[in-house]
Amino acid sequence: MTDNHPFLEVRNLKKYFPPRKIILENNTAPVRAVDGISFTLKEGETLGLVGESGCGKSTAARTILRLEPPTSGSVHFKGKNLASLSETELRNQRKEMQIIFQDPFSSINPRRKIGDVLREPFAIHGFKGNVSEAVMELLDQVGLSPDYVDRYSHEMSGGQLQRVGIARAIALNPTLVVADEPVSALDVSIQAQIINLMIDLREKIGIAFLFISHDMSIVEYFCDRVAVMYLGKIVEIASSEEIYKNPEHPYTEALLNAVPGLDSGLKKQKLKVRGDIPDPSNPPQGCSFHTRCPLKEKQCEEMEPALKEITPGHHVACFLKEG
Amino acid sequence: MSQIELDIRNLKVSFSTPQGNFLAVNGINFQLHSGETLALVGESGCGKTVSALSILRLLPEPPAKIISGEIIFGNRNLLSLNTKQMREIRGKEIGMIFQDPMTSLNPVLTIGEQLIETLLRHKSLNKKEALKISAQLLGKVELPSPEEKLKQYPHQLSGGMRQRIMIAMALACEPKILIADEPTTALDVLIQAQILELLENLKRETGMSMLLITHDLGIVTEIAERVIVMYAGEGVETGPTKELINNPHHPYTKGLIASRPHLGSTREKGHRLTEISGSVPTPHQRPTGCTFHPRCDWSSEQCKTQKPLLQNTNQKRKFSCHLQPESI
Ligand SMILES: Nc1ncnc2c1ncn2[C@@H]1O[C@H](COP(=O)(O)OP(=O)(O)OP(=O)(O)O)[C@@H](O)[C@H]1O
Ligand SMILES: Nc1ncnc2c1ncn2[C@@H]1O[C@H](COP(=O)(O)OP(=O)(O)OP(=O)(O)O)[C@@H](O)[C@H]1O
Ligand code: SF4
Ligand code: SF4
Ligand SMILES: [Mg+2]
Ligand SMILES: [Mg+2]
Repeated sequence: MTDNHPFLEVRNLKKYFPPRKIILENNTAPVRAVDGISFTLKEGETLGLVGESGCGKSTAARTILRLEPPTSGSVHFKGKNLASLSETELRNQRKEMQIIFQDPFSSINPRRKIGDVLREPFAIHGFKGNVSEAVMELLDQVGLSPDYVDRYSHEMSGGQLQRVGIARAIALNPTLVVADEPVSALDVSIQAQIINLMIDLREKIGIAFLFISHDMSIVEYFCDRVAVMYLGKIVEIASSEEIYKNPEHPYTEALLNAVPGLDSGLKKQKLKVRGDIPDPSNPPQGCSFHTRCPLKEKQCEEMEPALKEITPGHHVACFLKEG
Repeated sequence: MSQIELDIRNLKVSFSTPQGNFLAVNGINFQLHSGETLALVGESGCGKTVSALSILRLLPEPPAKIISGEIIFGNRNLLSLNTKQMREIRGKEIGMIFQDPMTSLNPVLTIGEQLIETLLRHKSLNKKEALKISAQLLGKVELPSPEEKLKQYPHQLSGGMRQRIMIAMALACEPKILIADEPTTALDVLIQAQILELLENLKRETGMSMLLITHDLGIVTEIAERVIVMYAGEGVETGPTKELINNPHHPYTKGLIASRPHLGSTREKGHRLTEISGSVPTPHQRPTGCTFHPRCDWSSEQCKTQKPLLQNTNQKRKFSCHLQPESI
């Protein structure tokens, strides 16, 4: 790989969905699920994607992996524009780009034995070696005993099944794994096991992660950098250390403040956010956060702040931080 | 000492299922004091909701069966009341916010119709008065434009708004006790913070007691004075929240606290989280002896066969483990 292009580069990516059909209402505006996001990811780096429900995290992930075509914008993986690849080329590229889903029970076929679930990626990509051996190796890597090959998903706990989900994702030695809320559906006492497993794999195989979560503490712990999304846009992006020590966007600060628990040492000032997230098919004019922002000024209603670098590597979209 | 509002003694609840019978709640004990917030915390399936539903006698019987115990409220054992007496208690004396808001909100009735129905069930009011109180209640739970909300249906509201409606309904008859079963689990963190603050304010204003059910230790530290930790149908540790979090006596509690990364704590690269090994046993295959023994780092031969009794370190703290707190 050459150094002159980033490992993953997402440029002004947009994904709009057709208008929601709401009875009685004459709805023609599209749902702007992802509304122009840009970022880069280095090899082996972990970027966290956080934000409230519906802000577009999963859509961003699926569009980046090109499981869905974008409305506009581009994704370059190791310098190649994914949009320019043929079906066959894309399939080959997918070996390197995998996804782990939130709910292992719905993402793993209940009618197939675990062994068969894990054979599938090898079959699809015409693996030349000994598949049974490879499956055993995978189970070992994710900390499951070999006799799980004959089990079905309903015979396993959520944590065990998520290990299978991870095994499937790493089967073909990917360099990029998107993990979409991989621990949210798991028991509290199991979450640490799965996070540790991903930390181990990251160190051993050097995978780059796009880690989606709404749990700010886990994101801080697991990620090198964090991007905060609001209504389809990235409003702040920085190293995780920086974002937790010096959150600059009022939304980021509010998110951190709202985490309940022992962590109140961090709470400098209580920024309180009222109200709900606006409808993504009808986002507010100007700064999309202005309807809830406690620091809103007149200009925020009219103009949209751009994402600007305020200190090296720390980007924020807020007029107050433009200096 | 503050007054005891609700006293749960040795409650056991079994379920009969095609795979056999099991104890969803296996001898739990706790007391709710007047004016306090007590948190019932534990992982999925440990018996939190079943405990709460037992108090209001709302379990489906069968398959559920309360096989032993007492639930003392005032000077009465709720387990010996008849249906009519129980209906008087529900809603009026003890209010509940259910885990799934959509099961307790009727989708085909407006918010107003549902609130009025609740009020008329317990209070001698005419419709007009009930309507007025309903609007006041919505104001109390800080919903903007209450009059308008009364005319809307549940699906027209966001998750956070629906949760406010649930709170308004639970509090309509000014109960002495509010049971809140995971009131914020389905909500985003910003909305969660709003709802928790609202619950705290309402509790302070009305002086009611609250039994808060959650799996989130963060929420516990934020709003509960005392906590009881459940594991596999049993209460394994109880005490004042701060003491219990800073100095857990039961290995399971200790593991739960340690396995969470804490916001703002400096992260060491490549540093792994402390984990609890294994997984939660299914109710049909609960281990012998101490139920936690297959996952416990301190497990001994004794733990495999002998159930630990409840120990006290002081009046307020109890835990069930063969070991002394200093040795874990
Ligand atoms: N296939 C689809 N068709 C229409 N709208 C969609 C579709 N998928 C997602 N949306 C909408 O796009 C927006 C973003 O959804 P998305 O699932 O990406 O959010 P998210 O951040 O992953 O949320 P969550 O935390 O709840 O998983 C939402 O308003 C959602 O309703
Ligand atoms: N109607 C029922 N029939 C059979 N088993 C049931 C029924 N209701 C609950 N259970 C079982 O009883 C046990 C305790 O369930 P309960 O709902 O109290 O758990 P919980 O602690 O509230 O969990 P969660 O955090 O997931 O809400 C579980 O094993 C559950 O599967
Ligand atoms: S630009 Fe204005 S409304 Fe937007 S976050 Fe900054 S202060 Fe708030
Ligand atoms: S009784 Fe034994 S197994 Fe149970 S928690 Fe205590 S040390 Fe662990
Ligand atoms: Mg999602
Ligand atoms: Mg429950």
